[in-house]
Amino acid sequence: MRVPLSWLKEFIDVKASAEEVAEILTMGGIEVEEVFDPYEELGELITVKVLEVSFPEKLKELALCRVTDGRQEFTLLTTAKDQVAPGLVLGAVKPGSMVFSGEKVEEKVVKGFKSYGMFLSPYEAGLGLEKDKLLSFPPDTPPGVSIYEVLKVVEPVLELAITPNRGDALSILGAARELYALTKWELREPSFEEGEGFELNEVVKIEDEDGCFRYTGRLLKGIEVRESPFYIQKRLWLCGQRPINNVVDITNYVMLELGQPLHAFDWETLEGRKIIVRKAREGEKLLMLDGVVRELSSEDLVIADAKRPVALAGIMGGEETGVREGTKEVFLEAAWFNPKRIRRTSQRLKVSTDSSYRFERCVDPEGVLKGLLRACELLKKEAGAKEVSRVIDVYPRPYKAPKIYVSFERVNQYLGFELNKEEVKEYLSRVGKVKEEKEGVEFIPFSYRQDLKIPEDLIEEIARIYGYEKIPTTFPVAELYAEAPLFEIKVLQKVREILSGLGFYEVVNYSFIDPSWIEALMLKDGDRRLKVLELANPLSVNQSVMRTSLVPGLIETARINYFREVSGLKAFELGKVFFPTDDVLAYEPYHLGILMMGYRDKDEWYAEDARFDIFDLKGVLEELFSALKLEVELRPYSEEPFLKRGLSFDLYLGEKKVGFAGGVKNLVLKAFDLKEVVFVAEVDLEALLEPLKDAWEKVEVKKPPKYPSTFRDVTCIVKKELKIGEIFKYIKSLEVPWLEEVKCIKIYEGPPIPEGEKSISLRFWYRAKDRTLKDEEVNQVQEELARKIFEHFGARPR
Amino acid sequence: MTSSELENLRKGALEELSKIESLSELEGFKVKFLGKKGVITQKLKSLKSLPLEEKRQVGSFLNRLKEELLRGIQNKEKELLFKEEDRDLGIDLTLPGRKRAIGAIHPLNVVINELCEIFGRLGFSIATGPEVETEYYNFTALNIPDWHPARDMQATFYLKNGAILRTHTSPIQIRTMLKKKPPLRIVAPGKVYRYDADVRHSPMFHQIEGLMVDKRVSFADLKGILTYFAQETFGEGTRVRFRPSYFPFTEPSVEMDIGCVICGGKGCRVCSHTGWLEILGAGMVHPEVFKAAGYDPSEWQGFAFGMGIERIAMIKYGIDDIRLFFENHRNFLQSFK
Repeated sequence: MRVPLSWLKEFIDVKASAEEVAEILTMGGIEVEEVFDPYEELGELITVKVLEVSFPEKLKELALCRVTDGRQEFTLLTTAKDQVAPGLVLGAVKPGSMVFSGEKVEEKVVKGFKSYGMFLSPYEAGLGLEKDKLLSFPPDTPPGVSIYEVLKVVEPVLELAITPNRGDALSILGAARELYALTKWELREPSFEEGEGFELNEVVKIEDEDGCFRYTGRLLKGIEVRESPFYIQKRLWLCGQRPINNVVDITNYVMLELGQPLHAFDWETLEGRKIIVRKAREGEKLLMLDGVVRELSSEDLVIADAKRPVALAGIMGGEETGVREGTKEVFLEAAWFNPKRIRRTSQRLKVSTDSSYRFERCVDPEGVLKGLLRACELLKKEAGAKEVSRVIDVYPRPYKAPKIYVSFERVNQYLGFELNKEEVKEYLSRVGKVKEEKEGVEFIPFSYRQDLKIPEDLIEEIARIYGYEKIPTTFPVAELYAEAPLFEIKVLQKVREILSGLGFYEVVNYSFIDPSWIEALMLKDGDRRLKVLELANPLSVNQSVMRTSLVPGLIETARINYFREVSGLKAFELGKVFFPTDDVLAYEPYHLGILMMGYRDKDEWYAEDARFDIFDLKGVLEELFSALKLEVELRPYSEEPFLKRGLSFDLYLGEKKVGFAGGVKNLVLKAFDLKEVVFVAEVDLEALLEPLKDAWEKVEVKKPPKYPSTFRDVTCIVKKELKIGEIFKYIKSLEVPWLEEVKCIKIYEGPPIPEGEKSISLRFWYRAKDRTLKDEEVNQVQEELARKIFEHFGARPR
Repeated sequence: MTSSELENLRKGALEELSKIESLSELEGFKVKFLGKKGVITQKLKSLKSLPLEEKRQVGSFLNRLKEELLRGIQNKEKELLFKEEDRDLGIDLTLPGRKRAIGAIHPLNVVINELCEIFGRLGFSIATGPEVETEYYNFTALNIPDWHPARDMQATFYLKNGAILRTHTSPIQIRTMLKKKPPLRIVAPGKVYRYDADVRHSPMFHQIEGLMVDKRVSFADLKGILTYFAQETFGEGTRVRFRPSYFPFTEPSVEMDIGCVICGGKGCRVCSHTGWLEILGAGMVHPEVFKAAGYDPSEWQGFAFGMGIERIAMIKYGIDDIRLFFENHRNFLQSFK
């Protein structure tokens, strides 16, 4: 909300500069976002000296003036032919700047003659009502200077950000009251007289007392609708509003000044000359001032005449009954509507106005009448209202201010330091009535401070008026206790450390994704990942469903990097995926996603260019699970349809599938517009938590060996299709004595090995725990083992 | 043997030693002088035949010479060995090393870890909660009824099933208090979602929530803890200021600013020429929140705070575009090794 300092000064004796006031308000809880001068914001409105005036025939009614701003010469066109002459110093505005009427000035060309901006009238300069006169200066005024500098016009305006609890501060008077509370500068509370009026009975009826707590109104006759006087226009403009006509402007003016929204009806358009505040009828329609017809529901509160709704209460008036040119009789409304009801309707119909904004945030129930009277005063003065009715005030359940008790002890305990009684009373007395009572105060807030309800609210008032900055800074005295960190956090952290240590970058992708990304995975019918949670109001379709897999996001990460010159990427993500449940909450387990894209080695002197392959990914997973102390099996051939079957695994913990890994199919990558090798893995960390707990409880610590090991090699020729894993599995099943480790140290295909076969070399390490093994006993075991392998796999020695 | 003969023997031997250039030559030299049949060995053997006085003198000279030569041989050996190993191998050591790149933790998690660690020192443990929430936990239990204009402060994403994406980490306060009895000290980091997207806003971002409940935790303590946090995070000399503010779930409410780290408080574009950067919102827990969580507000009091991780990270690392965090470009991520 904008508060011009000059207007503020009408209500409070400001003893500081605009910047100081801004600081005081900000540190008191009303944040001032900016102090600015709307005149300065207009742009380049400067003095120019007229050098030459001509009247080209083609231009007819226009004069062509050559002027200078002291730096450059340019031409301006004007219709005020008789007001321009060489030597005059006039006000002008350059293209790109704004003028008071809200228009942006452009460079114009009329019949080949250029007008680089225009001369200013006092009106366009925001200095007075005259529109046909040119703004002129004494001839010795230097050109090229801001006209406001010359005229010493300074209008600092404070832009306040008002929090939703402080509806009372949404006016000039509200800001003044706030400033009073913070500074105790002299405040001038306005008061207005009702005066005489003619009788007007049985006009207003409140049918919905839950919706309307108070309705005041007054009929004014003899109205002349015309342009507002300049001071009203200027203040509206300073506050960022546009003038419309004097009646409408006055309602807006009073709303800005006192915070009370008002509405003016054209009395003669009201059927039966009645005002009925009631619930709308379901489906009832209303053409509103913004030109939109809205369909109302029975929740909405309307002002109706004898026949139809004529205004959406507290939000916007109806088009048919609004004030227009020629309106003679005005029924002026000032009311106090239920904030909840106003908000509900405003939200449902998606229409928010200055009026609804204020009603939602609570207007002052005792300020309603003041608003009405102030507007009547102005309508009499500035709109010719001659005859006025008596004030109608329907107030079925008058506002009763709450009594709030807070003890001095509570204040001190809450704030953490000792504040004396007098100070407590003093600060509270600036926002309400205070009575000392039993080691505390009984407090009745001023009616405009509807936000003060409980003792803690009073503590905040005391604290902020005293000054948050002055409150001491202490460390709490609290009971010492310790809690073990969440296991889930420990696991995430461990995985983070392992993978970043292995050269992977952690990424964070959005939880909501494009549904086409899920489609791209070509999942089979019935796959749970197809059942996604959908957003009801996504920002766009590409962020419209909650992810059920980390894979699409990771492929997108690969794409972004690939197209921005990253030839190889190792990345991982730890994040939640979301599945619907029978409940409203989701099942949202943590998953780990791993990505390897493109080249492992590229343009390095020590290595040939090489892309990542499946063994890079497998090695990472093996190391990860080994470091996590989990025996996760990588079973060849994943069932995932988006992985290349021949280059993929499903991950099993016991007989439970906990993830997958492999090369992504090209068709999937095509959906992401990516032409580079991509390997991914995804692990359900939730499924690993319990097993990890067990595994981490019993870590087996290996000691350095006491006795030496010995190894034996076997090289044999086997069928090409034979998988090393099967040989390992077979060896394991034999339970060979002293055998500590077996490794495949070489695989060879090609001459002299016959087609369809391969040569493999295995190395076996033997070690006894209690002695050094003798060669003969090892040989015996090894020969027996070799024989069994040869026999079982139809192998032969090489 | 005359002393000049002995002296010549010594000189000759030392000179020969000094000229040696290979280990094999050195071995030959060793045999020649000190071997079983070596010159000095032989001479020592022949001492027997000499008169006592001469035997003593020559013997002592020869023994000293023997030791001198042994030392010389040892030094020579070292010299020759080093000469071999120290020679220029013709390897271009200006070539870069074989890459053994480590990766990096995402900057947002780096910041989260750091904040959790700072609050961890003060005995705050980590709590978590669901990202898909109900309106009750996200708003109502936090004293934000559905008609309340404060809901405008947080534009909400709704799911079609009626759930919402949490707009802040504050529901974790409620969920934790419902599970645990006071006293309580928690921090709760996590993803939050708001219907908002531009250079400074991302529809998904991260927050960390803090909550301390005890018998006598005061507003002054809130200032103490948060000042400590700010100075640990942004540097010891960081200035802080506390401004009254409004959050429905705290009373009194406060916002904390730090002196602008870019301009040092003089005023710049980043701090909108105020010299201050808004860092977090906080306040004393509202009694209605305690009631919703089953705590007795006449017995317990405490404070809560919440802040945006992206904002902290942007200030800390001088990042001006929030989208960089979610683009995940390698060059960006590499900066946080």
